Amino acid sequence: MKRLILALVLATLTVAARAELLIKVTEGRVDAVPIAIVPFDGDNEAPEQVSSIVEADLHRSGQFKPLPAKNMLSRPHTKDAIIYRDFRVLGQEYLVIGHTKPRDDGRYEVTYGLYDVGRQRELFSESYSPTKAQLRDVAHAISDRIYEELTGIPGAFSTKILYVTHNRGAKLPYQLQYADADGHRVKTILSSAEPIMSPSWSPDGSKIAYVSFENNGKPNIYVHDLASGQRSVVSRERGINGAPSWSPDGQRLVITLSKDGNPELYMVNVNGGGLTRLTDNYGIDTEARWMPDGEHVVFTSSRSGGPQIYMLNINDRSARRVSFEGNYNARPDVTPDGRYLVYVHRRNGSFNVGVQDLQRGTFDIVTQTNMDESPSVAPNGSMVIYGTQRRGTGVLEAVSIDGRVKVELPSKEGEVREPAWSPFL
Amino acid sequence: MRSFVNPLFAVILAGVLAACSSTPTEQDTSATDTSGMDSQTGTTQPVQRPESTRPDTSSVPLTADNFHNHPSNYDGTTDTRVIYFAFDSNTVPAAAFESLRAHATYLKNNANAKLRLEGHADERGTREYNVALSERRAQAVQKFLRVQGVSSSQLEVVSYGEEKPAAFGHSEMDWAKNRRVELNYVAGRP
Repeated sequence: MKRLILALVLATLTVAARAELLIKVTEGRVDAVPIAIVPFDGDNEAPEQVSSIVEADLHRSGQFKPLPAKNMLSRPHTKDAIIYRDFRVLGQEYLVIGHTKPRDDGRYEVTYGLYDVGRQRELFSESYSPTKAQLRDVAHAISDRIYEELTGIPGAFSTKILYVTHNRGAKLPYQLQYADADGHRVKTILSSAEPIMSPSWSPDGSKIAYVSFENNGKPNIYVHDLASGQRSVVSRERGINGAPSWSPDGQRLVITLSKDGNPELYMVNVNGGGLTRLTDNYGIDTEARWMPDGEHVVFTSSRSGGPQIYMLNINDRSARRVSFEGNYNARPDVTPDGRYLVYVHRRNGSFNVGVQDLQRGTFDIVTQTNMDESPSVAPNGSMVIYGTQRRGTGVLEAVSIDGRVKVELPSKEGEVREPAWSPFL
Repeated sequence: MRSFVNPLFAVILAGVLAACSSTPTEQDTSATDTSGMDSQTGTTQPVQRPESTRPDTSSVPLTADNFHNHPSNYDGTTDTRVIYFAFDSNTVPAAAFESLRAHATYLKNNANAKLRLEGHADERGTREYNVALSERRAQAVQKFLRVQGVSSSQLEVVSYGEEKPAAFGHSEMDWAKNRRVELNYVAGRP
């Protein structure tokens, strides 16, 4: 009987989790900060458990080690009820307490505070009054605030991840979706019988650009407004229309076209006008990313033989090579401060994410899987999300820029690939 | 004496073939393949395909390394609809020449026929770079057909990179099957 109940519970859990990405921290920092997040008063009765979401967020950053609730000696909900000693003896440095209460107007009141256990004082406290639908947003906002208070870096928990899924055998196997950074609240933007590629966010997060082969099997570049669902074709030239990337001012895209016989970089206005060619050589030029300064574009080029990373000055069209390790470096992305490049590096037949420090000139491999692709940097520069393979299927994983934290985000069905981390929203 | 003449003849024949086709960047080593010369002489076609001159493929084991150039993948007619490529290569394999010449002949004789050349890559490497690489494969087939005299208006190139694999596994053999150009008639299918 017990077994049957367990099986039923498991089956129910599986159904509930199927469509969403589940997250597992595979490698955290050894110096992760111990923090006790006491389950908020009223969380169990609320439709979303705010304190559990905060705990999962901070855990997933790899920089915090939340104390399991079952190990807590006391579970205060108010400032007056805190017994600091109970948390100090468990080695905790910080404490979060609060409550989630339904209000008469149908909204909720979420109040919480962050406390320094060693100094026995409140660092800050604040209150929100979200609707039911906003409870998860509030939880992520709390995580962001705590993360920034304790690390000095803005949190990226309120951001989204855009990605492509492939369910072989489905009527519309290719889907473009986005979800919260923790994998919840999946929304499908486009379903298609033909491939969808290279999704990219506008700098304000309101629009996306991507490549879809839905028009008679040919690649067109679309710009899609997320709120209205309206979209327009930016490019449908003969040959390749690929790899769109937004300018920091949101006015232009750099794209790859092969209309003249060879893949070259072009600049185009978001409305499709003002097409300008940026590169001109016999090699492949593609996979461009706009640098934060708006004056440079980092891209993949085979002009020296195999693929390498190059930096193009948009004003004078000069390009210089920036990657020199190995014979395969491709698909760069850049941190918001412009200091680090992340790209795919091949070594002994294995494809890994590498991080190049443009200031110090160092290069490090930060992943140990072997089919990594499409690295995308979080808007706070802390983590890189990328596509790889586990058990023969495409999954998403994330790694910190310094390689010390690793997080798995396995999907329950189909392949997931080409993640693009949103800007701050 | 016989053992001396034969290789010499083979060298001459290979030279003639190379001079005729002008496309191959790879040496056409199948010197016994005389049907290639038929297609050079214009519309004259053998009533019956000389099967006896086709190499005996049963003795050559099929491996991931020779898959692209294995005779069993190409029947010398327009029934061949997939051309395979070696790793990191966009060279049309010699074993596919006869089939491609058959397509060229068909296209020249059927002006309404339109052929879409769909380039594909294996899953290794980055996606947009693979789109570019697979376009080069489709362009290599396009060039081969153009050299045979096919009108450019009958040919169209689309490249899918690694987005539409033919084999879904992750072995060397799966990858060999995915490095390909598919010949897809969008009009006037033979």
